[in-house]
Amino acid sequence: MNRRLFIALLITLGTFCPLDAAAGPDCSRPFTLALHEHGLLYSADTDSGIDKDVADELIRRSGCKVTTSLLARARIWQLIESGALDFTLSGISNAERDKFAGFAWYFSNKYYLLVRKDVGVRNQADFEQNDKLQLGVIRGFRYSPSANRLVDKLHAASRVSQAGGLAPLYQTLLLGHIHGMIIEPFDYPTLEEKRIRDVTSIIEFSDASVPHGLVMSKTSLPPAEQEKWRALINGMRSDGSMRRIFEKYFKADLAAAMVDF
Amino acid sequence: MTTASVSPPASRLLFLPWLILFAMLGATWFVWDHERQNARKELHTQFDFALRDTVSRIEQRVAAYEQLLRGVQGLFATTGLRNRQAIHDYVEMLRGDPNLSGMQVIGVIERVPSASKAAHVRAIRRLGPADYSIHPQGERETYAPVIQRESYSGRHQAPLGLDTWANPVRRQAMETARDSGLAAITGKVQLAIDNGVEGNPGFIMYLPVFAQGQPRDSVTQRRDSLIGWVYASFHVRDFMASLYGRQAEGLAFAIYDGAVPSDAALMYRNREAAGGALSANEYMVVASHTWTLTLVTQEEFENRFGRDISLIIAVAGISLSLSMALLAWSMISGRARALLLAAKITEELRHMAQHDSLTGLPNRALFSDRVQNKLAHARRHDRRFALIFLDLDKFKPINDKHGHSVGDLLLRQVARRLQDLVRASDTVGRLGGDEFVLLIGELTGAADALALAEKIRQEVRRPYTINGHQLTISCSLGVAIYPDDGTDELALTKRADEAMYRAKESGRDSVQLAN
Repeated sequence: MNRRLFIALLITLGTFCPLDAAAGPDCSRPFTLALHEHGLLYSADTDSGIDKDVADELIRRSGCKVTTSLLARARIWQLIESGALDFTLSGISNAERDKFAGFAWYFSNKYYLLVRKDVGVRNQADFEQNDKLQLGVIRGFRYSPSANRLVDKLHAASRVSQAGGLAPLYQTLLLGHIHGMIIEPFDYPTLEEKRIRDVTSIIEFSDASVPHGLVMSKTSLPPAEQEKWRALINGMRSDGSMRRIFEKYFKADLAAAMVDF
Repeated sequence: MTTASVSPPASRLLFLPWLILFAMLGATWFVWDHERQNARKELHTQFDFALRDTVSRIEQRVAAYEQLLRGVQGLFATTGLRNRQAIHDYVEMLRGDPNLSGMQVIGVIERVPSASKAAHVRAIRRLGPADYSIHPQGERETYAPVIQRESYSGRHQAPLGLDTWANPVRRQAMETARDSGLAAITGKVQLAIDNGVEGNPGFIMYLPVFAQGQPRDSVTQRRDSLIGWVYASFHVRDFMASLYGRQAEGLAFAIYDGAVPSDAALMYRNREAAGGALSANEYMVVASHTWTLTLVTQEEFENRFGRDISLIIAVAGISLSLSMALLAWSMISGRARALLLAAKITEELRHMAQHDSLTGLPNRALFSDRVQNKLAHARRHDRRFALIFLDLDKFKPINDKHGHSVGDLLLRQVARRLQDLVRASDTVGRLGGDEFVLLIGELTGAADALALAEKIRQEVRRPYTINGHQLTISCSLGVAIYPDDGTDELALTKRADEAMYRAKESGRDSVQLAN
């Protein structure tokens, strides 16, 4: 008898919890979400990109008022930490960020080393060992574990040039001022794509795919609210709308590989 | 034999000072290298910080001017683009703030399609100036003339009507601002207010102004609803002077337009840069535009942050290593000297134990040892040898008359004469008192021994000069021959002693052969 009561209680709780989440986040105050200009994630020139589409859909589903703005990535992380900013998109986690940010994953991908063909680099070690080669990175960006190790090692050897965005990195890569950069599948710019592909080759880092997601400031959002926003992202994944967004930008198989992880 | 017993441990220990020297030099190298790396790391960290700080200060300043320009943009939500008084009052209000002194001009640009050019010119002429015209001259599809220019400092003036759309560098930024709806800055330009005077590079920041109530959610919508721009223009030099915070000293930095640091693209340089230990390029993206910031450490910076005490460590470490090695060497060689001394003392003690202290001749014990050796040798090789006993005649009266010291000196001189007469392989010993013994080898017969004994007797008889006294003394000798007179020490000794007594009894100063 007692056991039946217990099961009934479990079922009741199980029913109530999703209902609670489905009720949606608390919209009693306006929220802030920052985008950063980065390849296919977002282009300010066209005001479009994956992050923009995800943001639009997320905001629509939440029913809340969310102001979006465009900021530098390094600045975004600072503001998320302080709580002045509630959300950003396509963020990856690390121990430091876990302290101040919650994540709701929606895609996963590998990192690649994009190198100029004319420097004769066939693998990561070749690049590391050639003292003449400079690596370009975006200030405030972190990557997969071995990519991070490469960046940190080269940085200590003054072999890293930092940039505020992808555009100058591609430009300097084409000019041969830097010889490699770390990219993700969505990093090819729509412009100049052919020129870049012609002079570069791609080396895959041996790490597993790294999940990317909605970043929520722990300072401004209590855990229960974060859970509700996470439920919205999960909803977008489970009903296929996330995949449809990615299919706008990638071939179907790559889109599937990215969102199904 | 002496050195052989001492030198092996000493030479084994002699490597110790070297070991200490190399170990300590190794430790010195380790500490020196560690310190050097630390200093390098510290310099690197400080340089990284300075680079990040410089980038951040520039970005913040650009963001601040963008905010200010948004204020002007916001004005147009409540008033028209041609409300000059509103803009004028806004700038007037800002003039009190010296923080904004990096800005030269705030201005308004109207978007004019070619079809409305004439109407636009007429309308602006009514507002003044009456001679307003769009320049440069010529028919174009679209114009974007400056219709109002408020100098922040109040110093700069230039005619209105400059068609900024006709200038590719300006137009590019204006298009970016229009399409994104955000602030955009130009590349390196010469500002209109410079009126053609070169040498003071500038840049302009644009924000788009859209028609009230028109949708602006997509690029197409924004293009359709654009009515103009507000802008702020800057001289890079003044802009840099208006940055918050303090630039770290001892760093040379320069800002270049775009991603290529060339002379033509140089916008600002705080000082002439000498090649430094560390340098970096950072490609900043400022309001959708790329600036390259180059930062190079100069001597002051390197001395301040990269100062390492590695030289002191090296000098002190090497000195200490040498001192310790020297100390170890002196301790070990001191030990070797001590061992040598001990061996020497041991040798002396052994010598004392086997020799007569007065004459230095072998004593009874050593003499006996030599006799044993000689016996063994003679038996093995079937050789002969002689044992001669010698006793001085009437020695006691000399002692009594001249004293023991003279007696002793006499004994010494006798001993020396005896030693001079025999071969090195023969032995002269003193048994005590005035008794001497001689062990003579390599004999062909008793005659040889007797001849030598006779020679000794005569030699002993020669006068002695001791402390100015002329002394003479004789001796009695007894000779025993191996194996004729005995085949062991005892027998030979006994026979030689008996012979010597017979010599005494026969009147002294003579030689007797055992019989």
